[in-house]
Amino acid sequence: MKKLATGTLVLLALIGVALIAFFWGVGVRNGFVSQEENVSTAWANVQTQYQRRADLIPNLVNTVKGYAKHEQETFEKVVEARAKATEIKVDPTNMTAEDLQKYQEAQGELTQALGRLIAISENYPELKANQNFLELQAQLEGTENRINESRSLYNKAVQDYNVNIRTFPKNIVASICNFAKKDKFEATAAAQEAPQVSFD
Amino acid sequence: MAHFLRILRGACILLLWMLGLGMGNATVWTIDNLPMVHLQDARRYVCNPDGVLSQEVVDSLDALLMDLEQRRGVQTVVVAVRQIEGGDAYRFGVDLGNKYGVGSKSQRSGLIVVLATDDRAYFIHTGNGLEGTLPDAICKRVEMQLMVPSMKEGKWDDAIGNGVSALAKYIEGDESLIPEPNNEDDTAGAVMALLIMLFTLAICVSSIYLSLVHKCPKCGKRKLILRKEEVVRVNGKMKLHRHWRCSSCGHEEDTYDDPPAGRGNAMGRSGVPIIFGSGGNFGGGGFSGGSFGGGSFGGGGAGGHF
Repeated sequence: MKKLATGTLVLLALIGVALIAFFWGVGVRNGFVSQEENVSTAWANVQTQYQRRADLIPNLVNTVKGYAKHEQETFEKVVEARAKATEIKVDPTNMTAEDLQKYQEAQGELTQALGRLIAISENYPELKANQNFLELQAQLEGTENRINESRSLYNKAVQDYNVNIRTFPKNIVASICNFAKKDKFEATAAAQEAPQVSFD
Repeated sequence: MAHFLRILRGACILLLWMLGLGMGNATVWTIDNLPMVHLQDARRYVCNPDGVLSQEVVDSLDALLMDLEQRRGVQTVVVAVRQIEGGDAYRFGVDLGNKYGVGSKSQRSGLIVVLATDDRAYFIHTGNGLEGTLPDAICKRVEMQLMVPSMKEGKWDDAIGNGVSALAKYIEGDESLIPEPNNEDDTAGAVMALLIMLFTLAICVSSIYLSLVHKCPKCGKRKLILRKEEVVRVNGKMKLHRHWRCSSCGHEEDTYDDPPAGRGNAMGRSGVPIIFGSGGNFGGGGFSGGSFGGGSFGGGGAGGHF
């Protein structure tokens, strides 16, 4: 009788521990889900900002065209890069490192093409004095700033998530429930080559 | 105590500022060491620690921006200094705005204007919710037409005064912006305080009433009223003599109680202590520190170097 009671006690204790572990695991998993959601939101914001830039481009190109007719090649490059960049859409829920890199490369090319467009405008004093162009340029700069802010917010969300799923003991839950590490934006070669602006 | 600390902090800042002047080089302000005047005094919005702007301009901007916050719920911080960390007005403004959460949380309508005269850098930052009212192009237009020409001549008062007034006009014209219900919270607080006061008053009055009016032991009606109260000496001891009379049946009664320590008539017949009105703590409102709503900045706005 006494032996049986001990066995039952041990069993009950084990069930108790298992239950506690289960509910802890559920809590941890829900934490991952909400952080993953944060990452998705941050990613959506990054895409919105890139889209905002893409929407600005036709207007900008047309304004520059009005003053600098002989820069056809630059215009074509911008339009081409824009088409390429807007083509790539990435789903944040199953984004691979390559997807992110492709996206980043395409956007980086567009950044470079736009940099050249702004640079050639320096050669046209009338264009530089045009109020419309100045304001478009300000909008473009503001959009680039927003892109940078949204990228760093995305990176921060990813970092919080990654730290959480990789630290012990939460990593056990992460591996059971298939929560994988996510990738951050990294400063690319294209991004480091900021367009040079001359002041003459 | 808090007031004293505030004065002490102000004195320290002043001392540091004077030391800075004495050494002949201006402080390089970071988002951490820049004194946020709005937090110390809710009526102030212009951070002018180096005295870049004249007092008249600061005062008129403070009045304008307070009006703007009350009417449109747009919280503004104007920073006019000589030098900022890294000379980057963009980074400085975004970090400052996000650190303090300038602007309301619901509208996210913060506005930050940064001018660093020695760095020759300026920036107008719009909070995430203000980008529709003040698109980058408008900020740029205000800067190019009203600010940069004055800045090139070193007329900081004109640059900031005209620029901020123009931005305020744009904001004033946007009727979709509404003041933060924060003020209503204050009214709710005031109503609560009033209710508590009334409640306390009611208890006071009723306890006084209860101590004066009692149930008549003869006819059972609450008509036994205190007619006379005096301290008398009974068998060599001080006693509180009270004379009661029922206004209904005419029953009269005398009681002799031990006089309470301190006040002679503070205790009623039933032993209900009379609560003296609690001292309310109002005042000091004008100089109370403000707070920022929790807005965020995502890189909107325009700026540059002059």
